[in-house]
Amino acid sequence: MELSAILLLFTSMAWAIFFGVVGAIKGIPTNITESAKSFGLTGSRYTRHVVLPAIVPALISGATLAWCDGWFFMIAAEYVVYQGSTYSVPGLGSYLAEAAYVYQDLNLSIVLLVLITAIVLFINFLTWHRLMERTSAGTYKPAIRIGLSGIGHLGEAAPRMLHLGDRIHTPKSLILASKWLKRYTRQEKIVAFAVCLVAIFFITFFLVGQMPSLEAFRQAFADPEFAQLPVYIGLTMGRLAVAYIISLGIALGMGVLAAEHKKFAAIFYPIYDIGQAVPILALFPVFFVAFSRVFGGAFGLELTAILVLVLDMIWYMFLNVVSAVKSIPSEMKEVGQLFGLKGLKRITHLVIPAILPAIVTGSLLSWGTGWNTIIFAEYMPYETQLTQGQPLTLPGLGSYLDRTGYLPPPKGNPIRLLFLLGVIAAIVLLMEGLVWKRLLRKFEKYQVEV
Amino acid sequence: MVVLEIRNITKTFQTEKSKIPVLDNVTFSVDKDEFVCLVGPSGCGKSTLLRIISGLEKPDSGEILFHGQPHNSPNPKITMIFQLFGLLPWKTAEENVEVPLEVLGVKEISRKEIAISHLRMVGLEAFQNTYPHDLSGGMKQRVGIARALALQPEVLLMDEPFSSLDELTAKTLRNLVLEIWHDPSLPTNTFIMVSHNVEEAVYMADRVIVMSPRPGRVVGEVRVDLPRPRTQYLRDQKYFQRVDEVVSILEKNKVAIEAAS
Repeated sequence: MELSAILLLFTSMAWAIFFGVVGAIKGIPTNITESAKSFGLTGSRYTRHVVLPAIVPALISGATLAWCDGWFFMIAAEYVVYQGSTYSVPGLGSYLAEAAYVYQDLNLSIVLLVLITAIVLFINFLTWHRLMERTSAGTYKPAIRIGLSGIGHLGEAAPRMLHLGDRIHTPKSLILASKWLKRYTRQEKIVAFAVCLVAIFFITFFLVGQMPSLEAFRQAFADPEFAQLPVYIGLTMGRLAVAYIISLGIALGMGVLAAEHKKFAAIFYPIYDIGQAVPILALFPVFFVAFSRVFGGAFGLELTAILVLVLDMIWYMFLNVVSAVKSIPSEMKEVGQLFGLKGLKRITHLVIPAILPAIVTGSLLSWGTGWNTIIFAEYMPYETQLTQGQPLTLPGLGSYLDRTGYLPPPKGNPIRLLFLLGVIAAIVLLMEGLVWKRLLRKFEKYQVEV
Repeated sequence: MVVLEIRNITKTFQTEKSKIPVLDNVTFSVDKDEFVCLVGPSGCGKSTLLRIISGLEKPDSGEILFHGQPHNSPNPKITMIFQLFGLLPWKTAEENVEVPLEVLGVKEISRKEIAISHLRMVGLEAFQNTYPHDLSGGMKQRVGIARALALQPEVLLMDEPFSSLDELTAKTLRNLVLEIWHDPSLPTNTFIMVSHNVEEAVYMADRVIVMSPRPGRVVGEVRVDLPRPRTQYLRDQKYFQRVDEVVSILEKNKVAIEAAS
C-alpha cells in the first residue's frame, strides 16, 4: 500500500519535472548555442555552462508543480477502498478522509483542510519561492519561465506558477500551448507514442498477470452496464462542460479586472494563491459532508463534483486571462484610448479578441485537469451512514472507471479498466485535435505582432 | 494662424525606485497647414510629447491649446499614426478603419462607404477584407493612415511612422503622406511627425524642432525653405546644409550634456 501510494505520487509528479526540463533545453536560444559552439564550449563544459543553468529554473518550477500535484493526489494515494476493503496509510490525507467519511465530522474536516492548506502555503513560501527568486535572475527565457513578482503578500508562493506580475510582457500561456501543441516533432511524437505503448503493455501484464485470452475479453465487456457507456460519456462531458462554463465566466471576469485594476488585483491574487494551494481532492470530502447534509446524498455529490471541478479548472483559466490581458501591447491600448473605445466596446473590440488565444490554451489545460479530477469527483466509495451503507456514485464515465478499478469481479475488470482509460485518452485527444488546435489555428492571426 | 500651442510642458515618469524627468518646459506652436518634425536622440521624450499632444498622456505641468482652447483628452480632430501601426489583428482592413467611426456613432452604411473610400485613397481598395496578419508592413501603415484620415482630423500626429519599414516602402509612404498633406480637398493639413532620421525630417518638414537628450527640451529649430516637391533637391547642397544644421544642434547638445555629467 505504501509502495503504491508512493508510485501514484511519483507518476503524478514526474511529468511536470520531465516536461519542464525538456522544454527548457529546447528553449535555449540558437544565438546562445551557436556562440557557445563558436567559443569551443562542448561536452561537459557545454553542459555545465549552458545546459545546467538553463534547466535549473525549469527544474525548480517543475518541482513546484510536481509538489503541488503531489498534494492534489494525497487523499487518493493514502486512502483507498479496493474491492470492498479500505486500505490506508497513516497520514494527513487518510486522516482527513476518515474525518469526513468515517466520523463525518465537518469541523474536524475543515480544521484539517485549513491545516493542509497552511502547510502547502508555508512550504511553498519557505522553499520554492526562495529557490525561484534565487534562480530566476540572470537566466534567459526558458520554455516554462518561472518568475516572481509582487502578487500580494502571499503571491510569490503560488504553485503552478507563471508570471503574474507587472513584468509580464509575453503571453506565457502561448508558450505553454506551444509546449503542448507545437514543440515536438513527428519523430518525438512517435517515440512518445511507442513509450506509451510499452507502458500500457507492462501495466496490462502486471494487472492481468498474463496476456489476456479471448474469453477474458468477452467477460470484460459482458458487464450489462457497459451498454450505458455512451450515456455515461455524455453525462461526464456535461458535468465537465458545466464546470468549464462556470470557471470560464468567473475566471474571465476576475482575470480582466485583476489585470486592469490594481485594487482588484490586490483582492484576487491572494485568493488565487490560496485557491491554488488547496489540494482540490482534499476539498472533496469536506464539501460532500456539508452539501449532503443540506441537499441529500445524490444531489450533494452532484454539487460537490461540479464545485470541485470548478475550483480545479478555474485557476489555469484565471492565470491565462491575467497574463494575456497584461500582454496586450501598450500601443494597442493607446489605439483604443485614442479612438474612444470605452466600457463594453473596449471589452468586445479589444480585450476579448486579444485574449482569445489564451482562453483556448487555458481551456485546453482546464479540461485536462478536469478529466484528472472527474475520476475522483463522481465516486464516493466510502460506505457511510450518509450513503446508507452503500457506495454513492454519480452516473458517468469517471465513476464507471472507478467501479471497474476498485470493485471485486465481475464489476471490477482490468481489461475494461484499460479500455475505459483508452476511451478517456481518445476523448482528450479528439477534443485537442478537433476543437482546441483548430481554434488556436483560427486565432493565430489574432496574435499581436510586436 | 496658430492651431496648436504647446506651453511649458513638463513630465516626469515615476518608477518604483526613482523619478525620471522626461520633458522639461517644452514650448512651441504649430501653424495651420504647417508640417513640423520633432527630432532628438532616443529617450528624449519626443514620443511622450506626441502622446501628450494627442491627449493620451497628461503632463505634470503646462498645457496644450488647440485653437486657443485647452486640450487634454483624445479628440477626433487630432489623431495619430503609430510606429507599429496599432491595427487590431482580429479586424479586417476595412473594419479597422470603421472602428473609430463606430465609436463616433456613424451609421453602418456610411461608415462602410467612408472606410472603402479612404482605403482607395491609400491604394488598398483590393485589400479591404484582408486581415493585418496577411498585409505587408507598408500596407499596414497605409491602413493606419486611412483609419486616421477617415476621422477627417485637422491635425495628424505621426510617431516614427516609417521607422519599421524598409527604405523603399518608407520612401513611397513619405511621398503618399506629403500628397495627403498637400491636398487642398482634405481637411487634414497640419502635421506633426516624430522622427530620429534627420534626412527624413528635412525632406518632409517646413520646420524641424530639435530636442535635447533626456529630459527633453527644445534646443533649436531649423526652417526648411526648400521648394516642394523636394525629390529633385535630395542631392542639392542646400538640402545637405539644412541636414547639417540639425545634426550640429544635436551634436552640440550631446557634447554639452556629456560635459555636464
